[in-house]
Amino acid sequence: MAVDTPSQSVAKAGPPPPPRGRGRGTGTGKPRGASKRSLSTHWYAWALVAPVVVVIAVIIGYPLIRGIYLSLTNANERNVARSIGVNNIPATYEFVGLDNYAEAISGNQFLGTLGWTVVWTVSCVAVTFGLGLALANILNRRIAGRSVYRMLLILPWAVPPFVSVFAWRFLYDERRGMLNQILSGAGLDAVPWLNDPTVAKLAVIAVNVWLGVPFMMVALLGGLQSIPGELYEAAEMDGANAWQRFRHITMPGLRSVSTTVLLLSTIWTFNMFPVIFLLTRGGPGEATQILVTQAYKFSFEISPRDFAQSSTWGVLILILLMVFAAFYQRVLRKQGEVW
Amino acid sequence: MRRGIAATALVAALGVTLAACGSDSDSNGGGTQGSGELSGTVTWWDTSTVGSEDKVFKKIAEGFTKKHPKVTVKYVNVPFGEAQNKFKNAAQSGSGAPDVIRSEVAWTPEFADLGYLAPLDGTAALKDKDDFLKQAAASTQYNGKTYAVPQVIDSMGIFYNKKIFKDAGVQVPKNIDELKTVSATIKQKTGKTGLYLRGDDAYWFLSFLYGEGGNLVDAEQKKITIGDESGVKAFRTVKDLVDSKAAITDATNGWDNMQAAFKDGKVAMMINGPWAVADTLAGKEFADKANLGIAPVPAGSAGQGAPQGGHNLAVYAGSKNLDASYAFAEYMTSAETQRQVAKELSLLPTRQSVFIKPDVASNEMITFFKPVVDKAVERPWIPEGGSLFEPVKVEYTKVLTGQTTPDAGAKAVADAYRKLLKDWK
Amino acid sequence: MTTTTPTARPVNAPVRGRRSPLASAGLHLTLIVASAIAVFPVLWVLLTSLKPAKYATTTDFFKETTLENYTNLLNDTPFLSWFWNSLLVAVLTTLVGVFISATTGYAVSRFRFPGKRGLMWTLLITQMFPVAVLIVPIYNIMGSLGLLNRSAGLVITYLTIAVPFCAWMMKGFFDTIPREIDESGYVDGLTPFGTFWRLILPLAKPGIAVTAFYSFITAWGEVAYASAFMVGDENLTLAGGLQKFVNQYGAQWGPMSAASVLIAVPAALVFLFAQRHLVTGMSAGAVKG
Repeated sequence: MAVDTPSQSVAKAGPPPPPRGRGRGTGTGKPRGASKRSLSTHWYAWALVAPVVVVIAVIIGYPLIRGIYLSLTNANERNVARSIGVNNIPATYEFVGLDNYAEAISGNQFLGTLGWTVVWTVSCVAVTFGLGLALANILNRRIAGRSVYRMLLILPWAVPPFVSVFAWRFLYDERRGMLNQILSGAGLDAVPWLNDPTVAKLAVIAVNVWLGVPFMMVALLGGLQSIPGELYEAAEMDGANAWQRFRHITMPGLRSVSTTVLLLSTIWTFNMFPVIFLLTRGGPGEATQILVTQAYKFSFEISPRDFAQSSTWGVLILILLMVFAAFYQRVLRKQGEVW
Repeated sequence: MRRGIAATALVAALGVTLAACGSDSDSNGGGTQGSGELSGTVTWWDTSTVGSEDKVFKKIAEGFTKKHPKVTVKYVNVPFGEAQNKFKNAAQSGSGAPDVIRSEVAWTPEFADLGYLAPLDGTAALKDKDDFLKQAAASTQYNGKTYAVPQVIDSMGIFYNKKIFKDAGVQVPKNIDELKTVSATIKQKTGKTGLYLRGDDAYWFLSFLYGEGGNLVDAEQKKITIGDESGVKAFRTVKDLVDSKAAITDATNGWDNMQAAFKDGKVAMMINGPWAVADTLAGKEFADKANLGIAPVPAGSAGQGAPQGGHNLAVYAGSKNLDASYAFAEYMTSAETQRQVAKELSLLPTRQSVFIKPDVASNEMITFFKPVVDKAVERPWIPEGGSLFEPVKVEYTKVLTGQTTPDAGAKAVADAYRKLLKDWK
Repeated sequence: MTTTTPTARPVNAPVRGRRSPLASAGLHLTLIVASAIAVFPVLWVLLTSLKPAKYATTTDFFKETTLENYTNLLNDTPFLSWFWNSLLVAVLTTLVGVFISATTGYAVSRFRFPGKRGLMWTLLITQMFPVAVLIVPIYNIMGSLGLLNRSAGLVITYLTIAVPFCAWMMKGFFDTIPREIDESGYVDGLTPFGTFWRLILPLAKPGIAVTAFYSFITAWGEVAYASAFMVGDENLTLAGGLQKFVNQYGAQWGPMSAASVLIAVPAALVFLFAQRHLVTGMSAGAVKG
């Protein structure tokens, strides 16, 4: 998507269709000026993207720029501008440069949270991808009841997360939860699913995997179906065994799907707010707090709300993900992937 | 933000116009009342428990119309957990805020400090203000002005299951040591756990802190005291209760698990306040209401006390209908209303005159909690009051789940406070 | 599960499977276990909703089956108005979301224009910035536009969540549609928009199905904005309304579980409608993205 460079578009675009407004008012006169020409050639494209651009600019663009600005100040709830009825209290916060960033990067809290966020992201994405790949491979065969299985397996995606995460929270409950009741029925000790820091970390990862597998599976299944069957046939004739076929046909065939879903899934997991927030609120203590829930906490759950610090963490999250995306793209390009 | 201001002004102007239209049509309708009559709409955000308390409050709130027929009361129930955030969002932006909000006692100075509340001195909202309990009135003061009217007051005590106590042949523990021996006996005789200790909310930690003679901060001396020896001891006490199996706890779902464990007779005791009475009596162990006993919280090594809590009614400074809002706040906190609330919900009034009313004085829950409230420890009524809990909660849970030691936990809370309270010792 | 490497042909291989019964059993077992895990929490909510609230946390699922949770929910709570509010928001988000993602995807797939690259980056970056941090500024914008407590405000906000992904999916999908079709449209004298509307869009059904599904699910299940922007029983959406049943101070099991089931129904319907196209749509989008 964003990594689509103009040169590549040209390469696969071929001759662009003439997007002039035929028979429309705007295209009648022969445009002379460069800007005028650009307007007349591109107005169609611009008109098509305009709604998205306007919505994003107003709803995300302005708050984003404001967020970046706030991260360079000491803004909090007590010194930002407020309008109470007809009284307007002007803003009194000050510009502090990069102090917030220096503080975040030198303190333990940011780095500690970042460490767990990375562990969380990597393990969620890796396990989700592994399971999604395995299930997609199975579903891509002739097997009785395939469509039933597929529907059941996609179910976690179709249920609103606040419902399913809520259900998980009560399944996990140490005293009355279903999981421990099953364990005690089997004569095993109760597990403190959300009460022990280590177990809680595994528990939140499990729920996120549960939520994420359907997306992964569907995407990879589509990828598998687009691999021509003849390839497998030819390989089989050449005496390739199952592993070799997987390694040399399936994996390369899935490559372009995988690269995109891995990138997206990494971004989404890194910022996966609802799972952590609804399941543990970052607890016990701060054991499962990831960067985005902590940033939320700064701007909502503490008072006075610390807008500067929250924005600083938000911008740092953005930078980390942008660096990751750029790095990812570069590695792929080095490996000869046209992307 | 210029656009925001313009829009607000527009809305305000519109509101004025609409109000004007409204009164116009009223006078055209041949009203005989004088010009001083209240009209318009009062929106009230209530935070009471849905399912039990909210119905009563809604009924009472809408009864305001009987006294002031031209005023419409819009009752909105906002879940307690969300109300503080929602009000802050709405109040700072200048749109969407209610006229009157039920503000928890610790929120009141904070909202006042942010400029969101209208000062009430000299308005219709404060009537017979000497009748209010002193400690209830204290939370409504900020910088020498009154910003809210006390609605209900509360504190905490030990709720115990009389049947389990009888089966185990024990008496209500008066201090922490007794709590441990009583719990051990209960476990031995009945196999049940002694106490459910709520581990995911710092409010439930306070009575242990007060028991060791400590406090979060000393507001008069501007001193942070949680890091002192008393704070460390309090953390040790709760940790010891859990380690010695005298108590069970949870890091999530604490409220629900506590109520369930107590209502189903799985634990013999919990620490809780009047707001839990209605829910507790719905439990199967308490089909016979007499089975529920309530006693003062156990004393620690240096004292005894539970935190004083409650709710106030505050008026939003940007309200477009201030006069009706003042009158509404007064109505909701009047002796008559408080008496009705006390009767129907067993919530403690804030007016001395209500306590001596026969039907209130004979209410068992109220009779019990009144002396507890009298002795309850007043919390620091500072704007940061509401922010003192979050650091405690984090460390409290960490201590209970073994992620940190009591010493390190107390120190970490103190460090967090130092960031929050600049220039405090 | 990961140990099951392909031992048989993929579906589109022409030769019929020669899988041993043992391998078949293994595959079925794996799928059954996986499906059970996928369904378990949802099934648990369904079964819980059908028994009296006092047994909510017990394992006796069939002791006493009752619909009282549903009747109470529908009679005593404003559930239906929350439901309609949510439905309105989700349907509007889906309609508008599909439309503007399709136009954007088409523009980016077919035309070269200044700002295209920037737009593509923006679509990616909006997914990177933690929106949880933006709630207060967005609240203020909505306040000054007068959109608080209105469905339109939520719809616009949800579009910013759904559209970046959807537009990009649609671009990938349009990339798979041969350009010759556009050209034949121009030859027939259609405008670019006419070509898009009459020729390309009908071919993009699978992509639209995915986009619609994604937009609907996003709008239907969002909590943070919904609970920040909406107040008052008559305006709440389901996400906000349900917080009245379950919050820090108590859980009302009966209405909560019944509501959860009813919430899952429209989502499941949209899903059923879309699922036929889900696999093809997603892969085309993702492969070419």
